[in-house]
Amino acid sequence: MADPVATLRDELDALARAYSAGHHGRWVARRRAGLIDACLGALWERAGGPPGAALVALGGYGRRIQLPMSDVDLLILHDGVDPPEVARLVDAILYPLWDAGLVIGHAVRTPAECVAAAARLDSWTAMLDARPVAGDAAAADRAMEPVRRIARQDPTSFLDRLREAADVRAARFGSCAHLLEPDLKEGTGGLRDVASLGWIAAAVGADLEAAGLLRSRERVAVDDAEEFLVRARSAVQLLTGRRTDRLVAELQPDVAREMGFTDEPGLVAADALMRVLFEHARDVELVAGIVPQRIGAAGTPADPTTLIEGPASILAALADLAEAGAPPSAALLDAVEAVEVDDPVRWDAEVRSGFLRLLRAGAAGTRMLEVLDRLRLLTRFVPAWAGVRCRPQRDPYHRFTVDVHLLRAASQAAAAFEGAADDNDPIERETRDQIARPDAVLLGALLHDIGKVGGGGHVPIGAAIAADTLEMMGVEPDIRDLAGFLVAEHLLLADTATRRDLSDENLLLDVAARIGTPERLAALYLVTKADALATGPAAWTPWRQALIRELVAKLQRVFERGDMGRELAERLAGRTERLRALLAGEPEPEVDRFVLRMPRGYFLATEPAQVARHFRTIAPPIGANEVRTAATAGERPDTYEVLVVASDRPGLLSWIAGALAIGGISVLSAQVFTTGDGAAVDLFEVEGAFEAEITEARWREFRSTLRRAIEGSLSLEHRVEEKRRTYPPPRLRAPLTVRSHNDVSEFSTVVEVGAPDRIGLLYDVTRTFADLRLDVHLAKVATYGGRVVDTFYVRDALGRKIVDPGQLGEIERAVRERLDA
Amino acid sequence: MKLVTAIVKPHRIENVKEALRELGVSGLTTTDVEGFGRQRGHTEVYRGAEYQVDFVPKVKVEVVVEDADVDGVVDAIVEAARTGKIGDGKLWVGDVDRVIRIRTGEMGSDALSG
Repeated sequence: MADPVATLRDELDALARAYSAGHHGRWVARRRAGLIDACLGALWERAGGPPGAALVALGGYGRRIQLPMSDVDLLILHDGVDPPEVARLVDAILYPLWDAGLVIGHAVRTPAECVAAAARLDSWTAMLDARPVAGDAAAADRAMEPVRRIARQDPTSFLDRLREAADVRAARFGSCAHLLEPDLKEGTGGLRDVASLGWIAAAVGADLEAAGLLRSRERVAVDDAEEFLVRARSAVQLLTGRRTDRLVAELQPDVAREMGFTDEPGLVAADALMRVLFEHARDVELVAGIVPQRIGAAGTPADPTTLIEGPASILAALADLAEAGAPPSAALLDAVEAVEVDDPVRWDAEVRSGFLRLLRAGAAGTRMLEVLDRLRLLTRFVPAWAGVRCRPQRDPYHRFTVDVHLLRAASQAAAAFEGAADDNDPIERETRDQIARPDAVLLGALLHDIGKVGGGGHVPIGAAIAADTLEMMGVEPDIRDLAGFLVAEHLLLADTATRRDLSDENLLLDVAARIGTPERLAALYLVTKADALATGPAAWTPWRQALIRELVAKLQRVFERGDMGRELAERLAGRTERLRALLAGEPEPEVDRFVLRMPRGYFLATEPAQVARHFRTIAPPIGANEVRTAATAGERPDTYEVLVVASDRPGLLSWIAGALAIGGISVLSAQVFTTGDGAAVDLFEVEGAFEAEITEARWREFRSTLRRAIEGSLSLEHRVEEKRRTYPPPRLRAPLTVRSHNDVSEFSTVVEVGAPDRIGLLYDVTRTFADLRLDVHLAKVATYGGRVVDTFYVRDALGRKIVDPGQLGEIERAVRERLDA
Repeated sequence: MKLVTAIVKPHRIENVKEALRELGVSGLTTTDVEGFGRQRGHTEVYRGAEYQVDFVPKVKVEVVVEDADVDGVVDAIVEAARTGKIGDGKLWVGDVDRVIRIRTGEMGSDALSG
């Protein structure tokens, strides 16, 4: 007689070669189990097993689902009468198998020990799959009967233990239904869940379908899923040659190829494999989750009170259940599947209402959307869902498929509006009350990544798809607009906060302009948070939260102060467009850089034609000691416009003001700006102090005085004082006021000065700032009759606001004393 | 060999990476970190509600370089990370006793190059 173990090895090898790695389905697994059965039978025969003893197959081998590298789970059952004989038997069976390199999981037990072993859930369930292979089959059946009976006698506690174990597995292995690297055996929706249906049947003591606990469609779906999972898991084991069940990313292209998947437009083969795997695992997950619930719900009226007769009533019934926190019964799902549902569904007020109720119900509601998905109905309600359904995301942040991520985001967004706000999130606490239409936030969260369809920029694609989808849903225009905006801008806050300089005022104004209103900002924050929380643990770290909250708080203050808003944004956009038209002859990169670095306040305060005139003076990069000036006729008769551009530094404005005063030029108004790259752009409206015309000689004097002052070869202090002594002080005694504010601007302290006009007034004020090492970032100077009203935005040498009350007092006092002199 | 560690503002990290790439530095490690220096934490007042911001988000950059390359790398990082405003961060340099490339077992300079 040939050695049975050698024969088994040969036949297993032949079986492995007979089919390519992707085609080892259940038929092969059964064949493999059969070959092992034959080998064990021959070994038993040769060893001469004693009466009352039996060889029993357990677990997957018991179910005849024997995978290429899996353990062979064996129970050697004996009556305990003759221990040395049992030891001989065990040696005679196991040693040849071990010697041949087979991995055997074995137990040697008496019937009483079997019952004791059932205290451990995994031993218990393995024995629920028991199948006699050799020896006394009747004894084996007698030994297994009490093991089955303890499950039948108390199915509730058995089901509880199964559920607990399933929860532990879910926490440890995650899900096969949406994780990129699923464990095909232990993950939820995997083969362990398929097997659990068999254990539940054993506990119930009846066929699940006959007992009304499993619908025939569900049985078919689980059956198909098992075949696919067995093939995928076998392929993993055959390709790696190892006893492993995890379908890691690097194996996926090979497994996909072996299983016959090919690249499609927008979906590579590995993603197509994962998509089909996720679909099957979802069926298993749903059924494995719902069957125990049905047993638990037996006797309670879980059937819908609503008559299921169309798409709207399906949504209404599911929304009722979601709001009550109840599972959908088999009868309800049968009723749902019996209904004719148009593809696509025509949305009316009732469909809309049911769908929004599900979204508002948060996690319970999105679970019902998952049920719709498993029934292949969700894409009928939302056709665009087909593009993201079961689509894996291969990046370091995302753990879930696109559709699961979207459902989780919607559920997170709903949570922001439910119950108590997140205590650790002051922004959420405030923002959720600012939103008049929470439905828009829920829809925005649900659709934010709808553009992830396998190519192109997902944001613009998503914005277009979302616009169509919202149109089809027929939601009210304000909800549609806000939700569409949220999809189009869902990355704006996170990208800006983590990649851009939040102390850049232009940036804040531009982002505020793009957002438009505080409500939109609030909604965008909630979607940003929901998106991050739905992505994975790495996306909502305290680090990211701190940056995003800083940005949102700053933007809120931009809106509150009225520095930017919808009207200003439109005006700014209009002016920028006109300016670009006027500068059409200039090189475009230079114009782009100019628009980027000039403060937004400059564009708002200055007419595009004027800006276009300034362009040549301002645009070229400015040297450290360079000063550019340009004087032109002003808008009013006998006035002039003077533009001065120089590298910004504390004192610069005082030198310009002093040089003007010495040149006999009076400042009527002034606007001082600082560019993003540290150039001062100072714009003055001036008139002659003594005669209407400012001659070229006076301009020359102004320019040379300014140059010498900047170089340090001229004492302005002395010259201005000299000038002032020549002329009597003004007769008008207008009141002198100096006030500082810190709430007007995000980045500067604002000092307001009201004083009677006099020669060198602007010089005096700005000289005082320079003495105190303050930099004037922005200034507005206006003269009304004999009174001057000036506003200065100042920062310290490190570019900060002045917050120390002592220092603020010193600034006010110094300016007042200088002007009082 | 030296370990150059720098704490920089998050929005400067792309500049720093670019500058080091230009120098031919072939590997670096970045970590999202939070802390405070002279910039301190601060109290944010948000719509009337006060909340304490204890730590400021920064990015930590770590590079191991040959002794001869230290000055170039330090200058490049300082230059790339500077905005001139408070909170630009810090940089320090320390000695490195051993470096091993785990895959190949190469040590010292061999483990840094290529």
